[in-house]
Amino acid sequence: MTTLAAANTPSAPNGSVAAPASRKVHKSLDEKKPLLRVQDLAVSFDNRGGPRIQAVDGVRMTIYPRQTLAVVGESGCGKSVTAMSTLHLVPRPPGRFDRGRILFQSDAGERDLVTLSEPEIRSLRGNEIAMIFQEPMTSLNPVYTIGDQIIEAILLHQKVSFSEAQQIAVQSMREVGIPNPEQRLKAYPHQFSGGMRQRVMIAMALACQPKLLLADEPTTALDVTIQAQILELLREIQRQRQMGIMLITHALGVVAENADVVCVMYAGRVVEYANVFDLFDRPMHPYTRGLLASIPKTREKIDRLVTIREVVDNDAEFRKLPGAEQGVRPWWPWHQPPADLAARPEPAGDYFLQEVRPNHWVGVWRTKAVADHESRPPDLDYRISDDPSRGGVAGRV
Amino acid sequence: MTTYLLRRLLLMIPTLIGITFLVFMIVASAPGGIGAAVLAQAGGAMTANSGVAQQRAYLEDRYGLSDPVIFQYFRWLGRISPVKLGSQAQQLPSGEVIRTPRPIPQPPLATWYSQGLPTLPKVEAAAIKDLSEEDRVRMYRRLERQYIEGRFNTVARITEFRSQLTVYARERGLEAGVNPDGTPIVEFFQNLQPDRSSTEWVVLEAKGKAVLEAYTAGLAAQAELAGFFDQRPFEGYGVALLPGVLSIAWPDFGTAFSSGRPVMDLIPPAMATTLTLNLVAIPIIYMVAIPSGILAAVRRGSLFDVGIGSVYIALYSFPVVLAGVLAIGFLANQQYLGWFPVAGLHANEASQMRFLPAYGEGGQWERGWLVDMLWHMGLPVMCLVYTGFAVLSKQTRAAMLENFNADYVRTAKAKGVSNKDVIFKHVFRNSLIPLITIFVTVFPGMLAGSVVVERIFTIPGMGSLMIEAINNRDFEVILANTVMIAVVNLVALLVADILYALADPRVAYS
Amino acid sequence: MPPSSTNQPVPAVVTGVQLMQGIGHAPAKGFWADAWSSVLKRPGAVAGLCWITVVAFFAIFSPVLASGHPIMLTTPEGRTTWPMLAALTAVDWYLLAVGLSVPAAYFAGPAAGRAARIRWLLGGLVVAGISVVIASLLRGSLDSRTPPAWLLPTRNSEVGGLMVGGAVAVLVGGVFAALPFASKLVRRLTAVVFAVVVAAGAVHLGWDRPSIERFDYVRQEAAGAKASYSVVPFSPSQRFSELSRVAPGTQLGPSQNLPAEHPAHDRSFVLGTDAFGADVLSQMLHACRLSISIGLVSTGIALLIGVTLGAIMGYFGGWVDLLLYRVVEIFMAVPVLFLLIVAAAVLPPELRTTYTMMAIIGCFTWTGMARFTRAEFLKLRNQDFVQSARSVGLPLRSVLFKHMLPNGVAPVLVDTSFAIASAITVEAVLSYLNLGPIDQASWGKLLASAVSSEGEFKWWLAVFPGIAIFLTVLSYNLVGEALRDAIDPKLKKARV
Repeated sequence: MTTLAAANTPSAPNGSVAAPASRKVHKSLDEKKPLLRVQDLAVSFDNRGGPRIQAVDGVRMTIYPRQTLAVVGESGCGKSVTAMSTLHLVPRPPGRFDRGRILFQSDAGERDLVTLSEPEIRSLRGNEIAMIFQEPMTSLNPVYTIGDQIIEAILLHQKVSFSEAQQIAVQSMREVGIPNPEQRLKAYPHQFSGGMRQRVMIAMALACQPKLLLADEPTTALDVTIQAQILELLREIQRQRQMGIMLITHALGVVAENADVVCVMYAGRVVEYANVFDLFDRPMHPYTRGLLASIPKTREKIDRLVTIREVVDNDAEFRKLPGAEQGVRPWWPWHQPPADLAARPEPAGDYFLQEVRPNHWVGVWRTKAVADHESRPPDLDYRISDDPSRGGVAGRV
Repeated sequence: MTTYLLRRLLLMIPTLIGITFLVFMIVASAPGGIGAAVLAQAGGAMTANSGVAQQRAYLEDRYGLSDPVIFQYFRWLGRISPVKLGSQAQQLPSGEVIRTPRPIPQPPLATWYSQGLPTLPKVEAAAIKDLSEEDRVRMYRRLERQYIEGRFNTVARITEFRSQLTVYARERGLEAGVNPDGTPIVEFFQNLQPDRSSTEWVVLEAKGKAVLEAYTAGLAAQAELAGFFDQRPFEGYGVALLPGVLSIAWPDFGTAFSSGRPVMDLIPPAMATTLTLNLVAIPIIYMVAIPSGILAAVRRGSLFDVGIGSVYIALYSFPVVLAGVLAIGFLANQQYLGWFPVAGLHANEASQMRFLPAYGEGGQWERGWLVDMLWHMGLPVMCLVYTGFAVLSKQTRAAMLENFNADYVRTAKAKGVSNKDVIFKHVFRNSLIPLITIFVTVFPGMLAGSVVVERIFTIPGMGSLMIEAINNRDFEVILANTVMIAVVNLVALLVADILYALADPRVAYS
Repeated sequence: MPPSSTNQPVPAVVTGVQLMQGIGHAPAKGFWADAWSSVLKRPGAVAGLCWITVVAFFAIFSPVLASGHPIMLTTPEGRTTWPMLAALTAVDWYLLAVGLSVPAAYFAGPAAGRAARIRWLLGGLVVAGISVVIASLLRGSLDSRTPPAWLLPTRNSEVGGLMVGGAVAVLVGGVFAALPFASKLVRRLTAVVFAVVVAAGAVHLGWDRPSIERFDYVRQEAAGAKASYSVVPFSPSQRFSELSRVAPGTQLGPSQNLPAEHPAHDRSFVLGTDAFGADVLSQMLHACRLSISIGLVSTGIALLIGVTLGAIMGYFGGWVDLLLYRVVEIFMAVPVLFLLIVAAAVLPPELRTTYTMMAIIGCFTWTGMARFTRAEFLKLRNQDFVQSARSVGLPLRSVLFKHMLPNGVAPVLVDTSFAIASAITVEAVLSYLNLGPIDQASWGKLLASAVSSEGEFKWWLAVFPGIAIFLTVLSYNLVGEALRDAIDPKLKKARV
């Protein structure tokens, strides 16, 4: 089993993280209310010369302030599309919101992001919701200094003068651990190393103190030591600012170290949703079990590695779910739907994210048993740092 | 940045030398070399008093036509290089550059018919201090003519001697000493003694003695000319950095046969005309092509995009030759529309015009020099620009489309940058880079197009200079022209490199 | 996972899972097959290909379609001769053989073996073509001032052409048969035999053609001979000095003072004449050959030089690259047209044949291809498959040409179409400046007659050849564009 390093002990990263900024840009958040709620989101894409591709098909998730939700899945399962749809970054001629809502606690109250117009979503981008991406090499514009790029983000959303914006930029860079920020303002992206560039991206994203940070595989392109530093940095800033993080990744080690709640996706749907300890201790969906089983274990001596396919091809795995005798089956696209399917006529009516154990949801076929006892949608207000049984201190650090 | 520039400048030099080599080899590798065409024109006859012979002597002096081509190349390179080694050349008042005379070719097999070769005689220096400039020039011309004649005669006698040597060798049965094409292999005979009993020997000896006579006279002429030259009767050419060793001077491109004027007189006005045409064309191209490329990229797939793309392909496929001929036929000719002037860059009375348009006496509308020139430039510039539209617009569109999909555009959008700013501040700024590199290919194309356009519209630029030189077989002008075009091109490339370094910080600060 | 269900109807919306199962997208046919079918979907490219086919057709059949020699001439005494056929050169015969054999091989016989048939036919034709060109050059040298001594016996011999053609074809065929790309020995031999037959026959038939053509049929017809002509009854070299630059539709009769009942009276110059009095239409048809051969041969030479140099530069890198790239830069620094003009100008007129012009154009336009190939090879040489090929110990030429080249050749092949277009333009400019091939009709040469020295403009000398040049260049550009769009991955699909 993967060991969970004590995620709340601050190990010193390369550049020391400075004290939190004293100015507050946005309103304080009520930690009891969800920051982001994705409700039955569906996104499809136009494929020239072929049928539409359904990338996201009925996804539900909830993120609370100061919580890290890890969205896990293989390439093509729809995790990036989910995050990018939040900010309308999916190009919308080929892409289309089929249905669903994304409710966000903005400064102007709770709003459905799907229905926002272009100027409205632009005022949120980089401001209350920020996103960082996978490739720091190419994600920064090579012809402008990083100072220019960070200040651009600041001036777009805050009414400050240029020199004030410069100071904010410097402060932001210092917070992410970039040494000599005043000189580095005039440097170009190609003069930084990969890890530093990702810090620049984070500085740029956090310059306006967003409430929600969407991190799309932020460390996949970096080497392992830098990876650890960047993730530690994110945790630290989250602690200081009440920021919620949606961490998209396919690396379970990263999930184990950094996530509070985990959402496992496959083929555009959520197959499992639980807090990180429950997921690793008692995975319910065969796919999750397969994922966990396929991690090579360095301490055991085995003759062959376990593959995901072995697990999901085994029909018996699908009958281990609580409620199996009532006909509750984990949803799996490669299976024929069970005989007692009570699908609703609307799209994705054959699937449901059911709470099979307290605070543990599994994506199941909407059989009669499920239809008669539909549970609440996933909503987990869980943070490791708040959990006294896991060594965290109750309340805020 | 300065190191980058310095590096580019230094790299230009070997390229330039390489260009001179390439051009010279093309010209000199024509069958017969440089002098062949001159001979061909005169049908092979060589008389000392004809203009052809003078040309040939001039070429012989400058290049040494009997030497291997590579020596000819180095001689030419030495002349056109601004850095000159050896004793400094001098310049006549007319502008012609003169040098110390080259040695007369030595008689072959001298031992056969003489005791020894005469050496260069010592000549009393003619007093030049009191001579006026005119007199000096006259004296130089006289001595030069003497020298050329002497050289020419020596070469002619040597040729006769050699053909007689072949006859002698055949008569003596010494076939091994004769090349298949009938010329003798002199080295073969070096160690042999002449067979004085042969009938051909008498003739051979007489011819040899004639060679000796011509050679002596030639030596004398050379000595006189050299003596005169060494007194430095005229101004030195260029600046002597180390007297006798190193000097810098303008490149000496020689004299044009057809006009007799130094080539350096012909080139600057022609270059100015060609550059004017091209430099006017470039901003027009950019001003039309870039907006249309941006618009086509932003509205990709729309009617505008497809339509303008088709128009541009059609324009690009339309040869400049055809456009020029059609333009001059339909638009300029009085037979049809006659909107534009037919030839030249200025009207005949241009020198009497005022600069700006105005109303003259009697209320007549006067075009003015400026408008007149613009009116004359209209059609030629139009023929030069339309190809550039296509290339640049397509490149802009392609670059913008490529950058639309770039990751940093996604980042910018995620920051909340508006679409307009994304296009102009982020995408376009990055698209500038390939636009500058495309300039590198557009500019030579335009220079080449100038050849055709200048010929069709009778504009006295580098292109028509080139065509005239080709028709007149004026090799000096051909060589000089090509080198200067290459220099212009290299300068343009350097400018493009500078702009590139300004546009892309990855280049300058790495 | 369950097998893909290909016989189900394609749903309106597919999930990623279904895509994995194979539902919802058409299978690919192979890189070049896919590219070619994309090209064929674009109307501009299809139109371009049609025009190129038309030009190729005229290139092959122009000596038969437009000739000042009558097909059949019957003297009043009853003797029948075939002047047109007698006037065909070896190259003409060869091209006729090509023009007839390729469609025959394509349509006759089953579709299954078609590709293989065409392949060995083309092999034989290439060998025959090279042999015919070499033999024609030898024949030409017999007519020059200093004929080579060893060739002289063939001049007056009846089978001289047969011998020369056959011998050259055997030599060239032998060289080709030794090269590694023809597959089976039998096929190689058959191709060589075919080549020898074609080459020897063509050379023989064209052997006795006089080097200077004479056209005195009008006089013979006036004396009562009967002649039947081809579609266009004029040859490009047939000049009527009194009929310089006459308008289209002018009839031959009135201007030559022929009586009305003379059979030649109503022959008209459909598109007018040029400055020398030669018919424009026949020149335009014969000029098709030049444009096709410029395209094939010049670009072929440029491709050969450019790809080889580029491959060497890209593969070795280091100082090899540094040195050779300076050479490329030198060629790029002087506008190619200037170099070509100088090169063409220093050639004495008797050397300015079509072949030398094609060779010269090819020798100066290779830089673009060298740069493309170099860029591709620089990228490829660090890829794993190249490293593994080298580590296994494959010889250099195998690594370069069998492994790397097929992967790196795509941008160069796209550039080929554009290179052909620019070669045609360049040739038109050279012909316009009177620096083109002497012995061959050319569209550019016609353009040169359009504006006379007095400034008179005859529109038919500019418009008709101009349309031909424009359409040809446009066709190649359209095909090139379509090919580029089909191959360039970045423009292929919208990113999902």
